[in-house]
Amino acid sequence: MLKSKTFVKKTRSGGVMKVVREHYLRDDIWCGSEVCTECKQESTVLQKDACMESSLCSYPHYLVPDTNVVLHQIDILEDPVICNVIILQTVLQEVRHRSAPVYKRLKDIIHEKEKRFYTFTNEHHRDTFIEREPGESANDRNDRAIRVAVKWYSQHLKTFESDTDGLKVVLLTNDQGNKQKAQDNGLLVYKCEEYVKSLIANPELVDRLALSSDDKNEITSSKVLFPEHLPLSRIQTGIKSSSFLQGTFRASRDNYLEATVFVQGEGEDGTEVLIQGLQNLNRAVHQDVVAVQLLPRSEWVAPSSVVLQDEGTAKDDEDAEEEEGKLRTAAAEAARKPTGKVVGIIKRNWRPFCGMLNVSQIKESTRHLFTPADRRIPRIRIETRQASTLSGQRIMVAIDGWPKDSRYPNGHFVRSLGGAGEKDTEEEVLLLEHDVPHQAFSQAVLSFLPKMPWAITPEDMMKREDLRPLTVCSVDPPGCTDIDDALHCRELENGNLEVGVHIADVSHFIRPGNALDKEAANRGTTVYLCGKRIDMVPELLSSNLCSLRSNVDRLAFSCIWEINHKAEILKTRFTKSVINSKASLTYAEAQMRIDDTNKNDDITKNLRGLNKLAKILKRQRIEKGALTLSSLEVRFHMDSETHDPIDLQTKELMETNSMVEEFMLLANISVAQKIYDEFSECALLRKHPAPPPSNYDILIKAAKSKEVEIHTDSAKALADSLDAAKVDGFPYFNTLLRILATRCMMQAVYFCSGMDSDFHHYGLASPIYTHFTSPIRRYADIIVHRLLAVAIGADTTYPDLMDKHKQSALCNNLNYRHKMSQYAQRASVAFHTQLFFKSRGILNEEGFVLFVRKNAIIVLIPKFGLEGTVFFDSKDKVSPNIVFEEEIPGVSVPPPDTERPAKKQKLDR
Amino acid sequence: MFLPGLQDDLRVDGRGCEDYRHMEIETDVVSNTDGSAKVTLGHTAVLVGVKAEIGKPRPTVPAEGYLEFFVDCSANATPEFEGRGGEELGTKLSNTLYKVFNNKRSIDLKSLCICAGEHCWVLYVDVLLLQCDGNLYDAISVAIKAALFNTKIPKVHISSDEEGGKEIELSDDPYDCMRLNIENVPCIVTLCKVGHRHVVDATLQEKACSVASLIISVTHKGTITCMRKVGGGSLDPESIFEMTEAGKRVGKALHAPLMKLLEQEESLGKKRQKVGFLG
Repeated sequence: MLKSKTFVKKTRSGGVMKVVREHYLRDDIWCGSEVCTECKQESTVLQKDACMESSLCSYPHYLVPDTNVVLHQIDILEDPVICNVIILQTVLQEVRHRSAPVYKRLKDIIHEKEKRFYTFTNEHHRDTFIEREPGESANDRNDRAIRVAVKWYSQHLKTFESDTDGLKVVLLTNDQGNKQKAQDNGLLVYKCEEYVKSLIANPELVDRLALSSDDKNEITSSKVLFPEHLPLSRIQTGIKSSSFLQGTFRASRDNYLEATVFVQGEGEDGTEVLIQGLQNLNRAVHQDVVAVQLLPRSEWVAPSSVVLQDEGTAKDDEDAEEEEGKLRTAAAEAARKPTGKVVGIIKRNWRPFCGMLNVSQIKESTRHLFTPADRRIPRIRIETRQASTLSGQRIMVAIDGWPKDSRYPNGHFVRSLGGAGEKDTEEEVLLLEHDVPHQAFSQAVLSFLPKMPWAITPEDMMKREDLRPLTVCSVDPPGCTDIDDALHCRELENGNLEVGVHIADVSHFIRPGNALDKEAANRGTTVYLCGKRIDMVPELLSSNLCSLRSNVDRLAFSCIWEINHKAEILKTRFTKSVINSKASLTYAEAQMRIDDTNKNDDITKNLRGLNKLAKILKRQRIEKGALTLSSLEVRFHMDSETHDPIDLQTKELMETNSMVEEFMLLANISVAQKIYDEFSECALLRKHPAPPPSNYDILIKAAKSKEVEIHTDSAKALADSLDAAKVDGFPYFNTLLRILATRCMMQAVYFCSGMDSDFHHYGLASPIYTHFTSPIRRYADIIVHRLLAVAIGADTTYPDLMDKHKQSALCNNLNYRHKMSQYAQRASVAFHTQLFFKSRGILNEEGFVLFVRKNAIIVLIPKFGLEGTVFFDSKDKVSPNIVFEEEIPGVSVPPPDTERPAKKQKLDR
Repeated sequence: MFLPGLQDDLRVDGRGCEDYRHMEIETDVVSNTDGSAKVTLGHTAVLVGVKAEIGKPRPTVPAEGYLEFFVDCSANATPEFEGRGGEELGTKLSNTLYKVFNNKRSIDLKSLCICAGEHCWVLYVDVLLLQCDGNLYDAISVAIKAALFNTKIPKVHISSDEEGGKEIELSDDPYDCMRLNIENVPCIVTLCKVGHRHVVDATLQEKACSVASLIISVTHKGTITCMRKVGGGSLDPESIFEMTEAGKRVGKALHAPLMKLLEQEESLGKKRQKVGFLG
């Protein structure tokens, strides 16, 4: 039967379009229930004895949640207790339309066999399809569609009543009107809360109920704390007329009363609007998309230099006001920044947050505050009866809403991750917090792996150059199992040198568009934590088939240059090849071979040749203005049994490190040029924009404190002045400056050449750059491999590769994953550092002050690579008399006894 | 051979001189238009679709919307239309339709205005000739009137913010729409001079015998809004007078049953069994 659905919509150009869709109704949509003998279904999802023990429904029953129940109570639906649920197509479509993350979770539940969730395509069923009636809103129509479907189900099941113990269908809705109408129709209907509370076996499920609006009222006094948010239509008109600005809300890490809103301007540049004070922040949470209104210029303020953490208990409105007072400093006119207030929220970006529960002091209270691990997220008030069990555990909490009369947002408990301070728990927390996909690879993904035992086929050999006779070797950090690059160097008959960089040919194994490819594209990068690696591709590839291990034949993508002894490139060629690495060395081993004058085997000669060229290349690069920056990296020595850190040291750099690096840079640049020449519109490149001059302020100020001048006009000037910046008797000063300089830099990003015009890589001083050399751990390299393979005719192309918009979207994901993986890595190091200190007593170590704030200093301890905030006025200590000098935050050596509290504080959180 | 009969008010197919052939009307036949109607008159069949789009008003009449006509002579109608054969006829027909319908006496063009000088509704009236068996004008005019009757224009309202920026907002209820007042929309009556008499609704054969014909558009009150002579022969003033009088009479008589029929069909709503093109 054919029906047509008609609706009118507005087109982008402002016109109005009538859209007519054909809608087919069928009579072969089955009910999915085990008891049904009428439907000719092959397999059933819903059980005959659907038993969820409930005091309200003593009979077996199927649940039908409406859209709002799914949207708000997805945590409940995910619980293993809830099964035998019918998800109507109407609900599924609405959920998909309203919230992508909830939709994904719902889909996951439906796929899980044990949950027994059945999707009933009621919109295409002959008896349950309804047309919208005149005067009926879209929502009312959907509610009616749900009721009609429930009605159909209950009548359908009634025909088999004799075989079942009164199997029924129960509608769950939180909408009073809908409930009333359903009751009038003679349906079984309950509110979600009523139902969940009635579940006999699982009282703790109640904690996971999201608070609905009528619950919230009782929590707080009627005192309105925040201004009302404007409705979306007002915001839109405001943005159009540019009286409001739209931007991403970024809460400050150091000060909970301060935030910036990043407003994307025309093209590249964006502006930042400062927001100060609880009222002006107006319930925005980190990462929300908000609308801000600028305050008059006279009310503009400077970013405060106070470090404030929300330490208060549940009722600390007064404290907040007092603390806000501290923010206001008589800042110089020049330091003031555009300041605004949040007038409305365009899109919430809430996700479940990890953190700890602060158990309320009142014993019987079921309402507690939750402190998220991310300092930029406000505390969340949740309701739970298991406070005593949950204290001391890492838990996940989701925000449900933030009413205008509540100091904190309301949320509900999602799940517990385990005891705080335990290694597995903490690792889980930091992976979740940084949105790192870390589940095991699904069966669908694994199905695209090559079958073992794997061998190179004659067909592969036909298409590839056989480079197995060459003396190829790899140099990597110790313990590395995913070797993605190998090198060779030999003298040619004409006296020139031939240098080859051989990269694992991952794109041979990961074919575009399959599940394996999609998963890798989503993960974007391998994440290295201390003692743990979250792979981008399954281990079979990363540590075996793609890893260029010694003395096995491996497929490679080779970049081969002819270079003269002055390190000038004469010829470049790219080819797919087969190699057989002769040795996989560590940096230290390679260094030893080069230094050991007695050794004269092929590999060593190879290495010496490479090393010599690398030195020339590096010199040339630095002359062009490439920067040598510094950041502290710490290595842990792990206990092999407990995997606890037993010692730590900062990373040492050897000549061989930079040798490998030089050739990787060279390969990347050569490939970048090649793919850009071939595909000017869709080459995936990497750029590093020059930072705006204001970024260098902290560096220049810090240098000034020791009367050293830093020039920041160009990369070359910066590099030179950093080299010259030395203070007698303070050898670490130069490194400190380099650390600061690193923080002034912009993030390097991937981009699609067709979408941008500025390609320059500031840090490397190269006009063009890309990533080609680590396809095992970076997805960008896989794309570059594919592009290069197409360019040299070694592989076929596919539509998405040439679509610059799709590529641009991919770049955004890669940039995001890359950033998050770095944060996760840092967080992991920080956690292990704390684990390390857990077992030590009080240590005295030299530290350096990086920044000075009004009430605290930020201290770096180079030996541990540890950075922490030291407050002057801790709770138990009287604040020392300090005069804060805004202009010259100095670099000084703090008294050693302040160090310990700083570390302690981090540990406690 | 027709002439003797005509003198006695009798035509070859048994009709009187002022009788129409059997006429069938169905509205709302094309779902993706805003209004449509299909009319068959004898073997002549035309389909009219009305699409409403938002456009800019003409500078001379900023507070009015307007209509656009396009006549597509499909080669299905007659083999003569194949290739570009129907183009000339199409232009001729649409020019006449502009004259007859696109004025404020026929349709309340002011009601098509959304925002003076900025936005108005433009009604695109597309006429498709499905089969030609004479008297295209009359069939088309009836079909247009029926299609306009059937036209549902989505309701919009203009919201303006403090700065004077205007935004068109669309109602989210598809049933919330505006109808046109078609009371004054005229119908065309074509009178063919055959011998000493004139006939309405001439078949192709009769037309072949006719020297000249007069196209008259008549409103429901019997007012003539437009008149045009086509054909090679000449008409003397007396017969023109006679023919206009007859045209008025026939036109007036055509409106009442048409309106009744349309309203009857409308009242059936969704329950109506659609005939469509296969019926």
